[in-house]
Amino acid sequence: MKKIIISTIAVSALLFTVTSCNTDFDTDVKDIPVTKGDADFTKYISLGNSLTSGYRDGALYSSGQNESYPSMIAGQMRLAGGGAFTQPLMPNDVGGFNNLPGFPGKLNLQVVNGSLTPVPSGAAAALDILPNGGSYQNMGVPGAKSFHLVADGYGSQAGLLTGTANPYFVRFASSPGTSVLKDAMAQKATFFSLWIGNNDVLSYATNGGTNSQTVGTVTTYSTATVQTGNTNPTTYKSNDISDPAVVAGSIKGVLDGLKSVGTAKGVIANIPYVTSVPFFTTVPYNPLTPQALGANLATLNASLYGPLKQALTAFGAGDRINLLSATASNPVLIKDVALQDLSAQLTAALTPSLGAQMAAAFGQIFGQARQATSEDYILLTTSSVINSVAPGAPAPVNIYGISYPLQNQHVLTKTEAGYVKTATDAYNASIKSLADSYGLAFVDANKKMLELNGQSGISFDGVKYTAKFVTGGSFSLDGVHLTGRGYGIVANEFIKSINMKYRSTLPQVDPNKYSGVKFP
Amino acid sequence: MKKILVSTALLAGVLSYAGGFRVSLQGVKQLAMAHTSAHAEDASVAFFNPAGMSFIPSKLSVVAGGFGASNKVTFQNLNTLQSTATDNPLGTPFYAAITYKPIEKLSVGLSVTTPFGSTIQWPENWEGKEMVQKLELKSFYFQPMVSVKLADWVSFGASYIYARGIVDWDKAVTQFGGQVNIKDKKASGHGYGFGFYFRPDPKLDVSIAYRSPVDMKAKNGVATFQFPSQSIYSQLKLNGAGQDGFSATLPLVEEYTIGLTYKVTPKWLVSADFNYHGWERYSKLVLDFENAPIGNSPSDPTVLISPKNFKNSKTFRLGTQYAFTNMIYGRLGAYYDESPYSNENFIPETPSFDTYVITGGVGFKLKQFGIDIAGGYALPQSRNVNNSALGFYGQAKAQAFYFGLGLSYNPF
Repeated sequence: MKKIIISTIAVSALLFTVTSCNTDFDTDVKDIPVTKGDADFTKYISLGNSLTSGYRDGALYSSGQNESYPSMIAGQMRLAGGGAFTQPLMPNDVGGFNNLPGFPGKLNLQVVNGSLTPVPSGAAAALDILPNGGSYQNMGVPGAKSFHLVADGYGSQAGLLTGTANPYFVRFASSPGTSVLKDAMAQKATFFSLWIGNNDVLSYATNGGTNSQTVGTVTTYSTATVQTGNTNPTTYKSNDISDPAVVAGSIKGVLDGLKSVGTAKGVIANIPYVTSVPFFTTVPYNPLTPQALGANLATLNASLYGPLKQALTAFGAGDRINLLSATASNPVLIKDVALQDLSAQLTAALTPSLGAQMAAAFGQIFGQARQATSEDYILLTTSSVINSVAPGAPAPVNIYGISYPLQNQHVLTKTEAGYVKTATDAYNASIKSLADSYGLAFVDANKKMLELNGQSGISFDGVKYTAKFVTGGSFSLDGVHLTGRGYGIVANEFIKSINMKYRSTLPQVDPNKYSGVKFP
Repeated sequence: MKKILVSTALLAGVLSYAGGFRVSLQGVKQLAMAHTSAHAEDASVAFFNPAGMSFIPSKLSVVAGGFGASNKVTFQNLNTLQSTATDNPLGTPFYAAITYKPIEKLSVGLSVTTPFGSTIQWPENWEGKEMVQKLELKSFYFQPMVSVKLADWVSFGASYIYARGIVDWDKAVTQFGGQVNIKDKKASGHGYGFGFYFRPDPKLDVSIAYRSPVDMKAKNGVATFQFPSQSIYSQLKLNGAGQDGFSATLPLVEEYTIGLTYKVTPKWLVSADFNYHGWERYSKLVLDFENAPIGNSPSDPTVLISPKNFKNSKTFRLGTQYAFTNMIYGRLGAYYDESPYSNENFIPETPSFDTYVITGGVGFKLKQFGIDIAGGYALPQSRNVNNSALGFYGQAKAQAFYFGLGLSYNPF
């Protein structure tokens, strides 16, 4: 017994001496050096669009720019020999240009009728031309499409009138005739980031696949074109989907140009599916609850939905509309230009019951109407349209979404979303192959955005980020661009890719450090 | 709205080994011998096993003692190269017990312990502030008990447990640029314990004890939010002071202990213990707010469910005592304490580590009086932190030591 106990003590003492040496860290982070690896961060420039500029809440404003992902990356690069990183800061913290149409100030979150609502603000100042044009390292231009980066005169103030220039580039271009690429090449940077191509498909999507033309106070909408086989972007209307060959060619042009001046190392990111941003995922396709419709529900079924379904069924299109349910939430009515136009047939069928004039109106209104499905995307900006009165439509068929279809510009239909996805996939295939052939670090931004859009989102140190509008933390009030925190998540993806490719050890940023949506 | 994660600590606050460190500090003499249980010399056995009261040599025994518990936790983030250390104040658990034998076969007693009382204080602005900035816990166990001597060599004892707990927890709510304080000063719960104590041979003591699970109910907790602007209060359905009530039921876990003490020589004894803790009960924490829709439950937006995923854990203890004279005693011990969660479930409000602890102490006996001092030095094993649910990644390490002073009085 004695022996057993003594040996037990001896064994446990031994156990202690063997295992008790793991109380400390193998490596203390204080002893981990930040290194540049095979890269040279001395002069870093960033190229891209609004996402690169730090645009958020529907505007470019100074505090947002200070939380752009390139400036975060540059901050980490400074730990490994990186130099100064200047940005073309806006002259105020509101944004917009009050001497140009269509450039309001940032959205602010306010409590309106008891609920939090983004409220637009007026532009704060006129377009300002910055001194030292061409010397800014963050060259992100809000609104730029891929081919704009290689377009001469994109920074010409005169070109603003003809629509060939962009005020954001006008601000910091070195000369009116230059291009973003030329100014970038002139900087002879040692490292670059490039994230472009989003707008080649995004403006199509955010406008529901339409182009618009405003004459006086009247705006008319036409179906935008999905460009394929047309590699001359000057013939594109502003919301057309760019030909994938144009996107690939423009990006290749940028890479070649940079390479020619020795800027050969860098990082390039692909394009997220637009349908993973809150602008498309916030408004449900079926917001019409029985409670909201109330007594109107039965009336609608009897006088509109019932007759319509009956008539459409006769033409073999009965699946376009179902009777409104008194128990479940109902989809909105939308116009889908991809459908066969049954206006004439509807008018003919409804004339006996409604009279010629009303039947003609019905035919014209409902010829391409159907109820939305979960595969259609109702735009964020359409939320205020639903349940409002459609101008010029005869009562009682004049309530948007309920008795009058939402129009083409209000909805990204399943068909249109398909075009968007096809184009995005094509762009991304070229971006990936260019990244490989030019030996660049590659960021799968699309994958990260899908992760953010997933049920569980992405968490950092107990803060959960999702793609939910306003409350998700990652997207700003415009539903398309990110918050400082969202840009922090993006910055980390870039940093990870740079480290992996160039064997550098740039530390990541803490996304929680940056600002999110500003609550009132 | 950010998740408000109520931590294990809420429940740890009323459990003997949980939270920042699973510290066992309910007897100074016991601590000096690795906090082993089969020591029936005085009333301090009461907490360990009510049945032990029957083997206390005196009719009346009174004990009291206190400890200082110091610890520091360091977390480092390998992605951002940030390193953070806690600045925890000294914890001061104490214990007191009285046992009395009205007749030879029957013992009654009362044990009061503070099985947990510590404060985790991370820097206000550290990277994990959304999870915890400060967590203060206090707890009290009141255990009236009775023990019956079934035979000369065996007794059976049982206790009723009334537990009170206080939690006071600050964390940041960065989305709104503010903070929330979660407080309940009146959490309470009930449980029981029982055990058998054997002395089949004058040289051998065997203690077998069970302490039941306790459902600690925090019924009237208050969550106080502080934001730069009050316009959010109404959105979160808080009152004008930014407050909302909450309730939570905290499942405390059962514990099984078997311990034995063997007198190798009249002067030298050796003790060993094995504890088993049913932490598996703590798979999640459900926090039910009165009005605030800040939860994550699909069926009720005011219900917040936080996964905890604890697993059952074990403790092995080995201690020894040597009597230099019949007045002076030297003691040593060592124990190994398993953390109840994996790296994937590490949480900064109750950091926990697989820990080796080395203990020691001396005791002095003067007629009916005893004075004991003890110290413990912990060797928590550093660990990787890989909590994907919280996005909390890095490495954690800790250091801790304890010291204690205890008094015993066995007048007759």
